[in-house]
Amino acid sequence: MFRSFLSLRYLLRRRTNLIGMVGVFVAVAALIMILSIMTGFLRQTRDVLRGSLSDIVILPALPPGHPSRGDPRPILAAVRAHPGARAATAQLVWGGILTQSGSRMDPTADCLADPLRGSLLAVRLVGIDVRSAERLAWPGVAAAILAAGGAPPPPAVQDEFDATALLAALLRAEESGEDSVLHARPRPVPVANALFPFASPPGYRPSGRPLPAVVLGEQLFHYLGLSRNAEIEIVTAVPDPATGEWVPNNRRFVVAGTFRTRDNEIDLSGMYLDRGELADFLGGYRPYTQVVVRLDDYEADGERVEQELLANLTDRGLLGGRQDEVRTWEQFRANLLAAIENERVLMGIMLSLVLVVAGFSIFAILSMMVIEKRRDIGILCALGATPAGVMQTFLMIAFWDGLVGSILGAGAGIWLAVKIDPIERWLSDTLGYQIFDRSVYVFDHIPSVIDPLAVLAIVAGAFLCSLLFAAVPAWRAARLEPLEALRYE
Amino acid sequence: MSSRPRTADPGGRPILAARDVRKAFAMGERTLEILHGVDLDLFPGELVALVGASGAGKSTLLHILGLLDRPSAGTVLLDGADVWNHSTVRRAALRNREIGFVFQFYHLLPELSALENVLLPAMIGESRLVFRSRRRVHRTRARELLGRFGMGDRLHHRPSQLSGGERQRVAMARALFNDPAILLADEPTGNLDRATGEKVLDLLFEEQRHRRLSMILVTHDERIARRCGRSIVMEDGQVQAAAR
Repeated sequence: MFRSFLSLRYLLRRRTNLIGMVGVFVAVAALIMILSIMTGFLRQTRDVLRGSLSDIVILPALPPGHPSRGDPRPILAAVRAHPGARAATAQLVWGGILTQSGSRMDPTADCLADPLRGSLLAVRLVGIDVRSAERLAWPGVAAAILAAGGAPPPPAVQDEFDATALLAALLRAEESGEDSVLHARPRPVPVANALFPFASPPGYRPSGRPLPAVVLGEQLFHYLGLSRNAEIEIVTAVPDPATGEWVPNNRRFVVAGTFRTRDNEIDLSGMYLDRGELADFLGGYRPYTQVVVRLDDYEADGERVEQELLANLTDRGLLGGRQDEVRTWEQFRANLLAAIENERVLMGIMLSLVLVVAGFSIFAILSMMVIEKRRDIGILCALGATPAGVMQTFLMIAFWDGLVGSILGAGAGIWLAVKIDPIERWLSDTLGYQIFDRSVYVFDHIPSVIDPLAVLAIVAGAFLCSLLFAAVPAWRAARLEPLEALRYE
Repeated sequence: MSSRPRTADPGGRPILAARDVRKAFAMGERTLEILHGVDLDLFPGELVALVGASGAGKSTLLHILGLLDRPSAGTVLLDGADVWNHSTVRRAALRNREIGFVFQFYHLLPELSALENVLLPAMIGESRLVFRSRRRVHRTRARELLGRFGMGDRLHHRPSQLSGGERQRVAMARALFNDPAILLADEPTGNLDRATGEKVLDLLFEEQRHRRLSMILVTHDERIARRCGRSIVMEDGQVQAAAR
């Protein structure tokens, strides 16, 4: 009985003991906060990257002359027949260099001379299928088939919007900027109608034949200081089918608006246009380069579906026979994801050192206390306490330190993790210094995800750490020769 | 414990006995022997004064008799049983139940109030559940005991807020709380002025008579020794004379 009573009394009457508790509190709160932020970082990065990449990407390496090289429909049909695939669409991805119309080649020359600008102006042209017109007409068509007595087939319309998150990225571009002065975002420039992104923008008055429309990544758009309806010129090169020599080619486009995936890489260099338009620009060299697939449940069976698609398509002779022709989105960004995961683990290890420091403070305070309380230990022995009882009394002090410190620390850490965004904003506004530069990262707020298992592990770890560091002084207390203390004053 | 006869019976079996007890301390290279073969009997209900000059080994003997210190040679018998054959836990339990200590310097725990200090032996001796269930009874008893020693209005004072005499009364109440058969007092008035010391001693002797305690009182004051039933004189680590 006296163990818990005395340990609590020592804890409350000797304020230095609370330093150990505060140490555990700070360590646990910091660990939970940082790990929550890193987990949030990882999860949000995955979400963002996945949104712009779809689930599975098929890059058929077919030899020239193969019929499926010029027609994505066999592959699309094979993929769509797989029960795990929800939607698939063809994309034509090609590289290009962007120049602003009017000044002709000068900016391109600049960009070739200036490596920093050069990297920006090299753009990734993505030709996509948008079949909104068919989609919107489908209910009418279905009604007509039904009226004619036939059973309407399920809608076969599958386009970019089904397979990737482009529609969300187009709609996201409509969102206005951030609230704080420090976090101001440029004026949003969305497309007029996200369902028809490549329609001629309203107010566009072409002097001659209307130019095909493109949609740019928001950051690229603002970096170039463009406006809607601005004309841009793209330079690219394709091999001449006859000679095999690379032939440069250029074409002018009109800017219809922007998209925002929040993935910097894509927002800084991506440019979407109609697949047919891009194929035409490339002189019919390739009508598509890849097929992107959205699965019903990627997390559950992504790897399995990937393997099955690979086997399936190979069996039908629709792939070139290489192993990397079917990839998951994670394989595209494996390095970035692994880097964040590494950072998370390293942060955890580094912050665990804070816990060790807290443990050492418990160790130091208890060691001092054992020396200071020598006489009390002698008295307790005289009154019938066993060495084990004395040891437990001192262990109990660390027990309370660990218990209260880690539970309060968990509460504070969770609160900090949940409120980190407003806290950071308030700090940034108060100090006039931007702590978290949102333009550097993929997202516009500090993400945080609380993992209950991690919280439990941290609390348990902190608790055990306190006990572990208290074990040595407690053991010393039990081995003290109490008589020395009792005999003399 | 309550069944044990508490009458002064020098002819019967001693409740506490020392048999050829020696105690030596290592002082660097040399060993210093403080007790050179002490024999001592304490009979039930007996009040014995242990007198002698400073350094004669009185306190060392008392600590050995109180099971706080292990003799280098010889043995201590409690109720006829060799206590050093018992386990550490058993000896701790004997200290808790059978033996009460009163020290010269009171030795109260400074973080605890007077009442809590008195309750400490019960807290140590009983498990949490048992103590919880008897908590009210214990507190009433502790209040009564302190009240009997004139400390009724200072129950919640901490030792630092009490005078020397008051502290010693709290220490006495603590020593008697578990109703031990044996009380060992090591110069209980050595640190008090004469008037206060007299009052404390009166209380102590009254309790001894009332409870028929077997008690050893260490002192170097002849007047105090004369108030005891028997005096044992120690000199240079040996018992010199046992006078009635």
